[in-house]
Amino acid sequence: MTRPEDKTILIVDDEDDVRLYLETVLTNAGFKVETAADGLEALEKVKASPPDCISLDLVMPRKSGARFLGELHKRPEWKKIPVIIVTAHARDDLGSRDLKEILENSTILGPETYLEKPVTALAYVNSVKRALAMPITPGPETGQGADLKKEVGSLLETAGPDTLNKVLEVLRKK
Amino acid sequence: MPETDLRNWLHTQLFERVPANIAIIDRDYRIVEANQNFAETFGEWKGKHCYEVYKGRSEHCETCPADQSFNDGKPRINDERGVDRFGKESYYVVHVEPIVRDNGDVPFVIEMSHDVTETHRLQREYGFFFDRVPCLVSVIDRDFRIVRNNELFQRTFGDAIGKQCHQVYAHAGSPCPDCPARETFADGEIHASPLAGADQQGKVLHYIVTSAPISRGEKRPSHVIAMALDVSRAHGLEDQLKQALAFQEKMIENAIDGIIAADAEGRVIIFNPFAEQLFKRSAEEVAGSPIADFFPPEFADELSRGGTSIVLMETKVRDREGTLIPVRFHGVALMSDGKRLGTACFFRDLRDRKKLEQERLDAEHLAAVVQTVAGMAHGVKNVLMGLEGGMYVVSSGLKKDDKVLVEKGWVMLEKNIKRISGFARDFLNFTKVRQLAAKRVDPNQVARDVVELYQDAAHHAGIELRASLPQGIAEASLDPDGIHACLSNLVSNAIDACAAADQKEGLVEVRTRERGNVLVYEVADNGCGLDDEARQKVFATVFSTKGSQKGTGLGLLVTRKIVHDHGGTVTFESSYGEGSLFRMEFPRERLPAPANSDAR
Repeated sequence: MTRPEDKTILIVDDEDDVRLYLETVLTNAGFKVETAADGLEALEKVKASPPDCISLDLVMPRKSGARFLGELHKRPEWKKIPVIIVTAHARDDLGSRDLKEILENSTILGPETYLEKPVTALAYVNSVKRALAMPITPGPETGQGADLKKEVGSLLETAGPDTLNKVLEVLRKK
Repeated sequence: MPETDLRNWLHTQLFERVPANIAIIDRDYRIVEANQNFAETFGEWKGKHCYEVYKGRSEHCETCPADQSFNDGKPRINDERGVDRFGKESYYVVHVEPIVRDNGDVPFVIEMSHDVTETHRLQREYGFFFDRVPCLVSVIDRDFRIVRNNELFQRTFGDAIGKQCHQVYAHAGSPCPDCPARETFADGEIHASPLAGADQQGKVLHYIVTSAPISRGEKRPSHVIAMALDVSRAHGLEDQLKQALAFQEKMIENAIDGIIAADAEGRVIIFNPFAEQLFKRSAEEVAGSPIADFFPPEFADELSRGGTSIVLMETKVRDREGTLIPVRFHGVALMSDGKRLGTACFFRDLRDRKKLEQERLDAEHLAAVVQTVAGMAHGVKNVLMGLEGGMYVVSSGLKKDDKVLVEKGWVMLEKNIKRISGFARDFLNFTKVRQLAAKRVDPNQVARDVVELYQDAAHHAGIELRASLPQGIAEASLDPDGIHACLSNLVSNAIDACAAADQKEGLVEVRTRERGNVLVYEVADNGCGLDDEARQKVFATVFSTKGSQKGTGLGLLVTRKIVHDHGGTVTFESSYGEGSLFRMEFPRERLPAPANSDAR
């Protein structure tokens, strides 16, 4: 069984506050953590010692997140490292273009997931765990997860058999 | 003397003295008797044939009028052309009178002729005149019927003899209202009127018609000679001229510029509706007054120097109420062939344009605000994250009894709370509608104040802050608090830029300059500079990259607004990694008027 202590996560973000926070969260969950303040530093750390998972901010000076990813995918052994995108810019000019590119471009083995800031500690840890195929920590669902489930639940109440079948299909696929 | 002798003598006298050339010819055309006049006119006749004498011919004329009279015994009158004794061509009227015996024989014919050469010549001359004179001539009777007309008339109106003149000239059934012939028929005097008619093709023609009586001594003439002079062309030109004038008048009336023009003596003759609006005066009241009342002194100067034109892109004039109005002015002395015709002035009201400019600036400002607010969302998100993160880290630290962690978390909290305060303060400043309170200030003094204010902060960050303020920068009408805030913003940004670059010899310099008629402030630093992305967004959003440009976009936005309110512009140059220069330029003529005074 995979143990958090055996995994190293590289956190890449230009804001020290964010790095401190995310590092604390992962450390509390038992992971080993490395940090980098921009794309260049991140590349150096990857070269030195490839991590098991990368948490990546998109909009940074000196090699934005998307470009870093591009570099990453040049080496076959790095391509396999799961990447979680954590960004505040998913919906605005600065980040959405890059994000779209990454998500749509299936030739690059895309990241499993992206998270929009602000992230909750639990959601973040679970994303990492999912990326490493580790069992997730259940907990009080707050924020996005809870709302979505509520919405789905209420829609299900009034859904017809066709819709229900379709929903079942989707859920089973997962 | 016995009676028969007296009669014979009288007959002989008559024969000789009658004022005609008389010759009597026999059936052989021989002249058997002729009077003295005949001899004087035609010369020797004894024993000659009439054709020899009259015509200088050696043979009998084919169309001899005497022949017919010899045959039928009837008298005749003919016009004959002949040759007199001097060989000169002459014209005669010849009466041919046969002498008929009781038995019907005609042994002799009397030919009486008188010379009508002179008359003929006069007739020819008049006929020539009648036909060739360059006007339409017709002779009309009391029924207005044409009894005679000349060639030109014929060509213009076709066959007109017997038609009524008003029918021919004007296709009217009754005499024209101004018919001069009617008046001539009434009083026997010469009359003239302008009339309109149409030719055979229907083209409209204009005439001056003069009618004169053809008098044979009666007071009321039986005929009138009507002479019509074609003035269609002049009429046409008159029309064209009227139209051209009307066209120009309409143009001037409808111009959206104020147009004032004066005659050669400088008295106002044109004051178009737009000028009336601009100056709040009516054209009637200013007509004839001196145009110099309306133009700016610069034009008067130019004219007195002998110049002819001047353009002022922006100047002020006063309306009747004394209000100053910004206008664009063009004044020109109108010349033709070296002679002064008059003066013209054109005024374009700039108030609308200024309003539009202001509206544009306001719209730009609003757009920048909107963009900034959007960017603020990003900043706020980060701050929220920072606060939540801080709380998490502190609580983790407390749980794990990790003091270092607690401190780190606390610092995070402090930092983010400060940032929120910063946002709040900047935004409040920004949304406050600040009225400019402009006063005459020394630009250098404001700069000095700011530099002094930031000396400590700069020193603390290990940065040299200095001022380079040349002498001779003239006073300007500025809002000192506003300019102070702008300079503070720029200086504080510059200091942060140097700090962020870990610049060992950080230098921030504040300068003033006078360039042309423009007051310039510059704040230069050798800090981290702006990269392409930051350069694009420098005025618009709260772009926070680590450390660089700690100044929130809002600060620069406020600066820009204040500069715009002064009629100026703010620009920057920057080189990533090397430094930046921010420049505020204030064209002096666009500075606001100091409060509490009307004019600059």
